[in-house]
Amino acid sequence: MTETSKFHYIGKPLPRKEDRRLVTGHGRYLDDIIVPGALHACFVRSPHAHARILGISAEVAREMTGVVGVFTGTDLARWTNKLRLAPPIEGLHPTEIETMPTDKVRFHGDPVAIVVARDRYIAEDAAECVAVDYDVLPPVTSIDTAFAPDAALVDDSLPSNLVSHQTFSAGDVDARRKEAHAVVEASFYQHRQTHVPMETRGCAVLWDPGREHLTIHIGNQVPHPLRSQLAGRLNLSESQVTVMSPDVGGGFGQKIALYREELAIAALARHLKRPVRWREDRAENLMSASHARENLCRTRASVTENGRILGLELELAEDFGAYCFYPANYMSRVVAMIVTGPYRIQDYAFEMKVALTNKCGNGPMRAPMAITSWVMDGTIDAIARQLDLDPLEVRRINMLRPADLPYRMATGEVLEDITPSETLESAVNAIDYEAFRKRQRALRDQGRYVGLGLCTVVESTTYGSAFYKSAGIPGSGHEAAWVRIEPSGTVNASVGLGGTGQGYETALSQTVAEGLGVDPSEVKILTGNTDVAPYGMGSRGARGGTAGGGALFLCARKARGQVLQIAANKLGLNTSDDMRLLDGQVERLINGEWTATGLTLADVARNAYLDPTSLPEGITPGLDFSLTYDPPPMTYSNSTHACEVEVDVRTGALTILRYLVSEDCGTVINPVVVRGQQQGAIAMGLSGALLEEVIYDETGQNLTATFADYMVATACELPNFEILHHHTPNSRTPAGIKGMAEGGVMGAIGAVTNAVNDALAPFGTVADRQPLSPQYLRSLLRDRGAAARQNEQE
Amino acid sequence: MSEARLISLTVNGETRETLVEPRRLLSDVLREDFALTGTHVGCEHGVCGACTVLIDEKPARACLTYAIQMEGHEITTIEAVSDAGLSPLQRALHEEHGLQCGFCTPGIVMTFEAFLRDTPDPGEEEVRDVLSGNLCRCTGYQNIVSAVMKAAAEMREAAGD
Amino acid sequence: MKPASFDYHRPQTIEAALDLLARYGEAAKPIAGGQSLGPMLNMRLARPEHLVDLNDLVELDYVRETDTELEIGALTRHHRVANAVEVGRSHPLLASAASTIGHYPIRQRGTLGGSLVHADPAAQLPLIAVLGNAKIIVRGQSGTREIEAGDFFKSVMTVDLRYGEMVIAVRFPKLLPGTGWAFDMFSRRRGDFAIVAVAATLRLGDEGHQPVIEMALGGVDAVPLRLDLGDWFENRDITAAGWTREAAAHVAATISPEDNKMVPADFRREIADMLCENVLTAAIARARGETP
Repeated sequence: MTETSKFHYIGKPLPRKEDRRLVTGHGRYLDDIIVPGALHACFVRSPHAHARILGISAEVAREMTGVVGVFTGTDLARWTNKLRLAPPIEGLHPTEIETMPTDKVRFHGDPVAIVVARDRYIAEDAAECVAVDYDVLPPVTSIDTAFAPDAALVDDSLPSNLVSHQTFSAGDVDARRKEAHAVVEASFYQHRQTHVPMETRGCAVLWDPGREHLTIHIGNQVPHPLRSQLAGRLNLSESQVTVMSPDVGGGFGQKIALYREELAIAALARHLKRPVRWREDRAENLMSASHARENLCRTRASVTENGRILGLELELAEDFGAYCFYPANYMSRVVAMIVTGPYRIQDYAFEMKVALTNKCGNGPMRAPMAITSWVMDGTIDAIARQLDLDPLEVRRINMLRPADLPYRMATGEVLEDITPSETLESAVNAIDYEAFRKRQRALRDQGRYVGLGLCTVVESTTYGSAFYKSAGIPGSGHEAAWVRIEPSGTVNASVGLGGTGQGYETALSQTVAEGLGVDPSEVKILTGNTDVAPYGMGSRGARGGTAGGGALFLCARKARGQVLQIAANKLGLNTSDDMRLLDGQVERLINGEWTATGLTLADVARNAYLDPTSLPEGITPGLDFSLTYDPPPMTYSNSTHACEVEVDVRTGALTILRYLVSEDCGTVINPVVVRGQQQGAIAMGLSGALLEEVIYDETGQNLTATFADYMVATACELPNFEILHHHTPNSRTPAGIKGMAEGGVMGAIGAVTNAVNDALAPFGTVADRQPLSPQYLRSLLRDRGAAARQNEQE
Repeated sequence: MSEARLISLTVNGETRETLVEPRRLLSDVLREDFALTGTHVGCEHGVCGACTVLIDEKPARACLTYAIQMEGHEITTIEAVSDAGLSPLQRALHEEHGLQCGFCTPGIVMTFEAFLRDTPDPGEEEVRDVLSGNLCRCTGYQNIVSAVMKAAAEMREAAGD
Repeated sequence: MKPASFDYHRPQTIEAALDLLARYGEAAKPIAGGQSLGPMLNMRLARPEHLVDLNDLVELDYVRETDTELEIGALTRHHRVANAVEVGRSHPLLASAASTIGHYPIRQRGTLGGSLVHADPAAQLPLIAVLGNAKIIVRGQSGTREIEAGDFFKSVMTVDLRYGEMVIAVRFPKLLPGTGWAFDMFSRRRGDFAIVAVAATLRLGDEGHQPVIEMALGGVDAVPLRLDLGDWFENRDITAAGWTREAAAHVAATISPEDNKMVPADFRREIADMLCENVLTAAIARARGETP
């Protein structure tokens, strides 16, 4: 790594502080929290994709020993408010969701009743005895059927299943098409997936009837926004709700929204005046938590003879499922905004349609815009194929050059401090592109088919408030922090993030350490408790490093200023200029040398807390600091992924021979943690592109509600990853941090698919759907085989 | 409904009694009755491996075992592994960054504490094969594999090989 | 995902177990390793009123050899089947197939008897039993039955076992000296049930004698499919170049696997084709004393 020596603690590969408790089994996840007297809930879920609820009969269940009650959507409608989403976005229909359906169910797994009982076993027994009378309605199970003129309505309050529709045009794509040497069309279908945190959803809720206060233990990425939602939906004030997020067994975007189940448990704890807890089981998690992806992109590129893209048109359709827990344009919009990525394209137009269907509702999953880089680099490969050009040369001719930066994309997004051509060149150099091509030709002669896929990613990482404003979405991208130096000189700090395994206690302590000038081991990071943490926007996208780390760094800087002022006063100096704090020791610059003063942070802290009358004028007692920070509208990281595969053409089985990524994510807070995020993101991308798939049959039955059917990659399906690091700091963020952790998903699905298509090139077939299952690849090869035989006969 | 019965289990060398319905999963009894919450529940159908414990020193899914079956057997959970400080495997997982959210980690530790005892010098392929019985959603497995290899080497050295 | 209520019994002798199974009939379910039954119980797909735990019948955990047979007790765990010296010596095919079942912790618990009675159409042990004409020893209160593996498997997860009976042991004929063997399977992930599994044994014919070839496929039918290819093999030189390709194509054309959304029939046939070729090639190599 090119060490940025101006930092003392940022950039150090410290092993994680949180590991000790986690490797010994002493982590504290939701279910490890003992809540005396807690009742257990189990949801009764719809076996149908789409059906009218005619009646719910729960007498038998209510009478069972150990059952406290059975509740329905009608009960919850009395105690809670609906979720109404109506951001002022053109083409987006406002939607409302009941806390639990009262009239009809909209997908297989939709909750219709809750049993509350002494334990989960009894709750499941009773749930089986709740009889629901349904009138089954025709299901809508694909984008195509959703948009058919005679389609059943998923949401009866909308005019059609087209819940969101936007278009955009910059430059003149029609003119570019007319003047083009060729027009290249390509299509990309990304299948439905789900997040699969190893710890499923769940919550434990306590209502204190005396204080009229609700406490919810819940693994969550965004504790404060969750608290606002919960208070609003329960008609409580925000001061009546405490959200406590303990150790969390993974989130990946699934633990952001306030789900109906969690709201229902909270309402019941309050209604029953007894603690209630719910632990989702794996079948519920796979069927009913939140799904993601399932989008179809079509591109049309107008190109010159040598592959230079003159104009690009994108059609994007997403199957959003049955309910909108997020504005329906939320994920697709980012894809459409940034699809041109690292390439110079000013003439660009898109049309974006989002469909409601009778499936589990969609939400953002690690890289909500995952398909983006596959679409763009897949289009580049399509251009190379059609024009018989080298795909690497087509990338080079279109790619942003250093001189092009900062670059205003056709959509108005500004790219700066990124290095796509550097990562591309270093990746192809490391993989030895020319040698690979030679090897590929030699192997083809032996009947073996290897391929190399490239994918250059521009990853939108930190969304500032200005981004939300321009997107028309109410909300903010700011983050909040406090730093408190205690009387002993030890440091507590907090931020509004909600960790789910990213190693915040370690990495964020490094940002505080850097800002303040103490060893990271002296800094304790407290997150997840809304009574302790400041109101921040939480963990989503890749904002943790820039927004959270940035806020803490700046807040610690502020603290350092005051510490040095007090120190200067103690030393009888007029100014704290030429002073610093390092490893908790106050130093002075004397004759160009940093010299110890003998004063420590602990001395200053004692002064501040226990002898405040001796503080310099204008300094108030204590060492307590807080700060909010709003990052730039957007920060970007970039990377190039290179993947070598072999396809066994007899079986369609795919082997990844080599995987390499060259990544520039700016200043790295902790390289150990960053490398772990890079590996994990690539793994999630590959697992999704190769194996995972939520499958619904024609009647809307979910066929993949077990881990035998929803296939997450094991250690045997994933390769080792080689990672090359670049560190170009962002010029507009504290310490030059950019953020990362989603780009790996984006690059992986693009690189592996491009590699497969490179391997299959001799067969003249193109994989334009995922997952790249052996079944699918064989179907492509079989069709080509049949076509070839047909040609021979003719 | 079947009557609850008083059973006596040996867990981490200690004998403990509890009243259970026959259908209660070992994973639930360990966690709820004995407060040994390091055994995690990830799927309850035997695939994810988060609940792996040792039964008579062999790795097994606590979610596919009914507590009542375990009378007369010795159960070892993650809580017993670090009795004398972190084990070489636990230490290697920390040093190699072989965990992120940590939810799957206890199951992985239990699987490999047993495996490395029987197979002190495994190859990387073999480690990946055994690891395939534990799902991890965070790490991509690479660092877990290096941690196991590192721990194995360290244990061999300590054993005087 | 918690099981429905059941009563629990833990017999100490085979007789006591049979007594319980007879007394409760279809309301009873025996449990051994529980690696297949456990998930079904937890998902409430199986709801016995009585669970009869066979794990104390340690006398059924054994591997024994006679001159011609390898007898393995029903309670023998997969890990032992895969690693026992006797199995490696007299039925390496069985050892090889057993080592691919599920995952390492699953193999520590899962049992031979349990796997056979569960009768997944793609499972390893039923396939090897059917291929090698193993005899399944079944005992009930009225006595002991010996059932040819080919007759034991009736349909998907259905076997010739009456209420009150349990599998006691399996007798696998030993592989004769000079027998080539191979097992191969195709699955999307390590440890999953196979999409198709193929096993074969063969002996090269001496001068003037026909070679003997046995082959069976899992995952292509409701039960393991043992192929009678005698007529087809007749008068062919199995060591000739291209023979394994031809034979595999013939097998693939013979089978008629199920067609479904997840795994289309023609895909399954292609996989069977590839596996057959691999397996025959490896078995011929072993029959010649080579390492495949």
